[in-house]
Parts: sequence; structure tokens; C-alpha cells
Amino acid sequence: MQAPPDRRFAADAEAHRRDAPRHCPACGAPPAIATEFWEGTARRFYCSCSACGWTGEITPTGDVAVGHEPEH
Amino acid sequence: MLTAEQNDELTQVDAGTPMGEVLRRYWYPVAFTRELAEFPVKRVELLGEFFALWRSPSGRYGIVPEACPHRKASLAYGVVESNGLRCPYHGWVFDEAGACVDQPAERDDTRFGDRVSAQAGVAEEMGGLVWAYVGPAPAPRLPRFDTYVMEGFRDIGWADLPCNYVQIMENAVDPHHVEWLHGRYFQFIGRHEGFTSPASFAKKHQKVGFTPFEWGIIKRRVLEGASEENDDWKVGHPLVFPYNMRVGGGGVHQMQIRVPINRTTTRFMLYTVHRPDEGYEHVEQPVVPDYRIPVVDADGRHVVNYVEGQDIMAWVTQGAITDRTTEHLGRSDIGVAMLRKMFREQMDRVARGEDPLGTIREEHERIDLPCEKDKFHAGAQFALDFCDMGSTRFSPMLDAIKKIHVSAAERVASGSS
Ligand code: FES
Ligand SMILES: [Fe+2]
Ligand SMILES: [Zn+2]
Repeated sequence: MQAPPDRRFAADAEAHRRDAPRHCPACGAPPAIATEFWEGTARRFYCSCSACGWTGEITPTGDVAVGHEPEH
Repeated sequence: MLTAEQNDELTQVDAGTPMGEVLRRYWYPVAFTRELAEFPVKRVELLGEFFALWRSPSGRYGIVPEACPHRKASLAYGVVESNGLRCPYHGWVFDEAGACVDQPAERDDTRFGDRVSAQAGVAEEMGGLVWAYVGPAPAPRLPRFDTYVMEGFRDIGWADLPCNYVQIMENAVDPHHVEWLHGRYFQFIGRHEGFTSPASFAKKHQKVGFTPFEWGIIKRRVLEGASEENDDWKVGHPLVFPYNMRVGGGGVHQMQIRVPINRTTTRFMLYTVHRPDEGYEHVEQPVVPDYRIPVVDADGRHVVNYVEGQDIMAWVTQGAITDRTTEHLGRSDIGVAMLRKMFREQMDRVARGEDPLGTIREEHERIDLPCEKDKFHAGAQFALDFCDMGSTRFSPMLDAIKKIHVSAAERVASGSS
């Protein structure tokens, strides 16, 4: 039996439902599965498509494009 | 009678329900102090939710929801460390404020501990019990009711009962049941089992009264042969909203605690302090002893040859959640009606964002509750009846307790106190 949803993290669950990719970037079919994981402040979706076999990570970035400078 | 909807609302304990939100504004005892001294982490069920409660090596207490925010393994199997409770599965650590302070498998720059707070409650020790508050911050103060902080000789009897806590609370505003359940019924059982039940419990009620006050409802009675000048009326004793009742007399002080573990399980505790008014010589107790009181026998029948066993029989046989749509209250049940009104009013208060009845936010030393000294105008006999005819009969401390009352009486008689 599935445990009841954890009320503490309802907002995270809602954000996942809202933001998980709906289309494969290669063929446009719905991804077979999109697993969200977090890395620092980034949310990443590890997706795979059973229609065309594409596998990859999709990361919403928001408006700001972040680069980096090598140490100098 | 109530409608099914009203009965449903009254008996809820879960988060997000009106009554569940009221109940989350109070502190509850969730462990014996000695339990966490024996093993420093415990799984706790309260108000239909599970928590991990722990005692840090420095003696502070923490409580967090049981499921680890990482992948939901039980923190009740956690490793108690100096900076918090470490999840047994992948080693995340949560401190007493619920903050995730370690994610050992993540690199420094991929950690996200600040986004996965365990959302802790607060926990504190008082009187041999560990108390927890799991409601919205800021937590009110833990009320220091007299029984928990007074000097005296303590023990705690307890049992987990398979019924909703509201019907147990309704018993606390039901004076008439004493002369029947602990009077006539006790005599009936005594005749069959060959003992004499306490005569004072069968005294006839001539008048009952209920007064709302800042901690709940004071219950009063006039028994046959007494008047409004007797303690039973003049002082009375209170239902302490929403889950306690303060009782006592003859040098016995007791809080009857009914913790809503979940909707149909209630932890019933008899927190008792023996302290005769005169002639008491204090006996140190390194730990407060606790003991289970019997509920049913080997055949599954209720154990009804002691006072609280009779109460338990009545509460449990009313049903897991008693059907208030087909009950038939009379004028003598007016206290029950008053209590339901009080529950309803607190739901409204909390919905308006106010503190419910009995919330205390000021620092304080001790809260004295009104309670009869001369119970059932039975004098000192009450303490002895209490020991032999109530749950104390099952206490490992029974002999020590009787000795306290008897030697206090002797000291008074010999004028040495
Ligand atoms: S489930 Fe708790 S650290 Fe992984
Ligand atoms: Fe393994
Ligand atoms: Zn595809």
C-alpha cells in the first residue's frame, strides 16, 4: 500500500507536477519517465523516451543564464 | 444526539481537520523519561502521525516526523549523534530544529540541505515524562500543572485503549456515573468475587454543576449527606481541556491523561502523586516508575474489579467512535453537552487564527488547579480506597505508597509533624 502523501513537501510535489517535461526533445512523444533530482539549487529531470530511445537530463534554468569564470 | 457530520467533526484528530488543528495547539506526553534514558530514540504516534523522538547526548530532546525527507526511511531507527539524528539509510542528519545539517553522499557544491527541512516539533522533559508540541510555531509554553511539578511520591499507570479520546473526555463531565459504575456495579462485582467495594463511591448524587474556567470545566457535585459547603461542590475538580482531568483527595493528586494517539486509539495515563497534607516525609525517586494497568483478561473480557477498569470497560464498549447519532442524553448529561460546545468553540477560535482555551505563552513556575481535598466527604479513607480499589493496586510501588499514607497519619497522630 502506498504511504499517504507527505504534507511537509506538498509544494515540491506540486512543482514537480507542474514542471516535469511533457515531451521528448527528440521526437515529441511523452517521456516514458522523468525522475526529478536536485543538485545544489538546480532541479534536474532525468528523462527517457521509449518511442525513440532518447535519454538525457532536462534542467529548467529560469530567465537568468549562468556561466562561470575559471579561477584567476 | 448529534448529526453524523457533527460526530465526525468532533472526533477527528488528523491534520487539516478543524478538530485536528485544535489538538495540534497543545503539548502531549509522548514518552517516559526513563525510556529515552534506556535507549535514546523512540518511534512515537500522536494525532494519527508518526514521529521520531530522541534525546541528544547533552540531554536535549528533539522530535521530527518519522519519514526521512530523502527517501522516507524511518528516522525512528536513526543514529543519535551530538549534532542531531542521523538517518540510518544514507546518513542525512537533522538537528533539533529540523534542519538538514549533513548530506554525506552529496558533494559540497551539490548539497541542498536548506530545502529539505524535516519540520521539527519541540520536546521537553517534565515530571518523568517527555512532552512534545507538533503544531504551528511559535510553540506555546508547556503548562506546568501542579501534579507534574509538586513534591511527592509518583507513579504512572497506563494502557492504550481502542477508542476515540472524546468519549473518554465526556466521562470527565459525567459525575453521575460514579454512583452507578463505581457504586452499584462495583458492589455487584464485589459480591461475586468476594470483596467489599468502597461505600463512599455509591453515595447518591443530589446535584451536579459545571463551571467553565480558564483551563476547562470545573465539575461539582452534592452527595447525599453533604451540602454545598463540602469540597465536592465548593471546590470540585476540573476537566483540563482538551485531554486531561485533575482528580484527587486525601493526600492523593492525580492527572488523568488521555492522549489521542490516533482517531481510535487513546493512551490513558494515571499520573499520580502521593503527598499527604500533613506528616509527609519526602522519599527520593531517581526514576518515576510506570506500570501497565490491565484492560482485558485472558478470555478477552474487561477487567472490572477496579475503578479505572470499570471506566475503561464503559469507554471501550461505547464503540471505537461511539455513535452519537442514536444516543439518548438526558438532563443529567448536561456536562457532556457543555463539553461538546467547548470543543466546537475552539475549532472556531483556531480557524480565526486565535489561541484555543488553555494556551499559555507566559513563563510560569506552576499552575495550581482546583481540586477537592476531602473527596466524597470520605476523609483519609479515600487514600486507602484509592490504593486498594483503583489502578494503584497494580503498581509495583503499592507497598511504598501505602506506607507513605499510613506513616504520615501516624506522625500526625503522635504529634511529631
Ligand atoms: S532515506 Fe534518510 S538519508 Fe536516505
Ligand atoms: Fe544494502
Ligand atoms: Zn523520443
